[in-house]
Amino acid sequence: MDSWQLRIAVLVSIGRNPVSGAARPNRNDLLALELARKAGGEVTILHAGDPNEPALADYLAYSAAPLETIPLPGGQDIVPALAARLQGFHLILTGSRTEGGEASGMLPYALAKRLGLPIVAQALDLAVAEGQAEITQFLPKGQRRRVTVGLPAIIAVHPMAPLAPRYSHLRRVSGQSVALPAPALTESASTAWRTEPARKPVVLKAGEKKSGHARMAAAITSESKGGTLVTDGTPAEKAQAILAYLRSHRLIEF
Amino acid sequence: MSGIRRINPRRPFRITREGIRRIVLGEEGDAGDITLSPVARAASKPLRLVGEATATLLVVAHSDRGALDAPAREAIAAAAILADPATAVLVLVLGDLAEELGPFGADRILVVPECGNGAFLPDLEVSVLSDVIDRFQPRHVLMPDSPTGTGDLGRRVAAALDAEIATHVVELKPDSVACYRQGGTLLARRGLPRFILLDPGAIDAALPFRGAGERLDYAAHAVAPGLYRDLGLKPVAGAALPLEEADFIVAAGNGVRDVPTLEAVADLFGAAIGASRVAVEDGRFPRDKQVGATGKTVQASVYMAIGISGAVQHLQGIRACRHVIAINSDASAPIARRADLTIVADAQAVMQALVSETARRNWPGDALDEARADG
Repeated sequence: MDSWQLRIAVLVSIGRNPVSGAARPNRNDLLALELARKAGGEVTILHAGDPNEPALADYLAYSAAPLETIPLPGGQDIVPALAARLQGFHLILTGSRTEGGEASGMLPYALAKRLGLPIVAQALDLAVAEGQAEITQFLPKGQRRRVTVGLPAIIAVHPMAPLAPRYSHLRRVSGQSVALPAPALTESASTAWRTEPARKPVVLKAGEKKSGHARMAAAITSESKGGTLVTDGTPAEKAQAILAYLRSHRLIEF
Repeated sequence: MSGIRRINPRRPFRITREGIRRIVLGEEGDAGDITLSPVARAASKPLRLVGEATATLLVVAHSDRGALDAPAREAIAAAAILADPATAVLVLVLGDLAEELGPFGADRILVVPECGNGAFLPDLEVSVLSDVIDRFQPRHVLMPDSPTGTGDLGRRVAAALDAEIATHVVELKPDSVACYRQGGTLLARRGLPRFILLDPGAIDAALPFRGAGERLDYAAHAVAPGLYRDLGLKPVAGAALPLEEADFIVAAGNGVRDVPTLEAVADLFGAAIGASRVAVEDGRFPRDKQVGATGKTVQASVYMAIGISGAVQHLQGIRACRHVIAINSDASAPIARRADLTIVADAQAVMQALVSETARRNWPGDALDEARADG
């Protein structure tokens, strides 16, 4: 069991400063990198894109792991190339979403399909034991869910993971970066998209032919439904009225 | 006589569905017993789908405690707006359902109660959705892009079917979808793909029509246990949560002087504590507890406003709350118009009553033990 070494691949992308537009490491991917470091094991950072991108070196500064780049020009499907390199890893970690590119959050799912691996998204924390990964998942309303999944698996890290990646200039200058041989190109399927300058999106509304009277009525009557009013009774009865309301809507369990 | 024609403002009128019509020359009529209350108008919304449906749009949503949240309703409304007169809106509800979906625009409803209550069952959900898509062949599948629920499921199924998908859709039109690229500096547009994951706020959920809301029987096939195992939810203390994330908030206003009792009430429901501006400026609560325009905007399922009159600025902060319960000594305070339940009483007495009434309650653990002993 001692010879067994956990191998983790962290997929990183090039982020984009929202104000200046300058290239930078993607914060979501930095969290994935930090989570991989915390989980222990042998980490490899993997990027598909331009190997000469200066922002890539910043990933070295956040981790002692080597960086491998699959040279791919823009507009190519990165899934086949990544899937070919990702054979043999026990864990594949990614951020939840890129900052440039399509930013659809589909990459981990597409990889999971291609490699036939399970995927758990929204991970906040990770522990590996006995061929299983135990993941704490983010749920809204302050809830957290614990899930285990058999290895190998793909895990997408939630942006709110309580991790603090640390920058080290020494690691940046001494880290090793390797460009892998260029793979066969596959044209990306997502050619259906056309881009235009951003503007405020138009909210989809149901078309409605309304008379002037109806518009006036809608404008002067408030939308509020005006709930139940309880005025009579002792404080105990009123407290019971509140509890009954909460129970009837299944908001409390007693 | 002057040349001005005089019109009798009280001349006979008729009430039609469009409202009062007065300009009826040479014809008389009266209102009869038709009333124009908003309730009657809501009930008289016409059915969208009249004939036989030849096509289907599918909406998938998770329910929370038997009800659908706002993004799920928006997705149903989006499908109802996109659907042509011969297309039915089919809603697949993952989790149990205790409310009518007809008014939101749903024509047919499938309920899968096994998938509810925050359980992590990706294998079962993927199998259910694939089965429903297979059986009904919907032209498009719409879902809210909620990070954990249908956002995860939609991406899984789209990847499994190798189908076209648009995620984080901020703009939907009858022929195209659009979403942001490059950190919001570009808008990317394409024709409607098979899977459409909608960001919240992209759709106005108000509809001038209703759906049939017919519930179909559906039995999910059991799936073999896969690689995933759900160890359950971690309990989180409500008081430790930031207000924006809290699901149950007990908020105090000027009418609350006794902070320890308020804390006891919050403790009772496992709720986070909020406060109005007056109570914060009085020094009774820290600044980060303030709810409203100058404080925090909250999205709780339950917002219990104790001794809060409900200034517009405060109501702004609780717009997204689903159930608002007000305890106030003044029945005419603005909060009473917003609240679903208003208790007109002295806040202190009701708070104490709440604590003492629930001291006699049956703990859920006890009920479980009894059920185990019985069964």
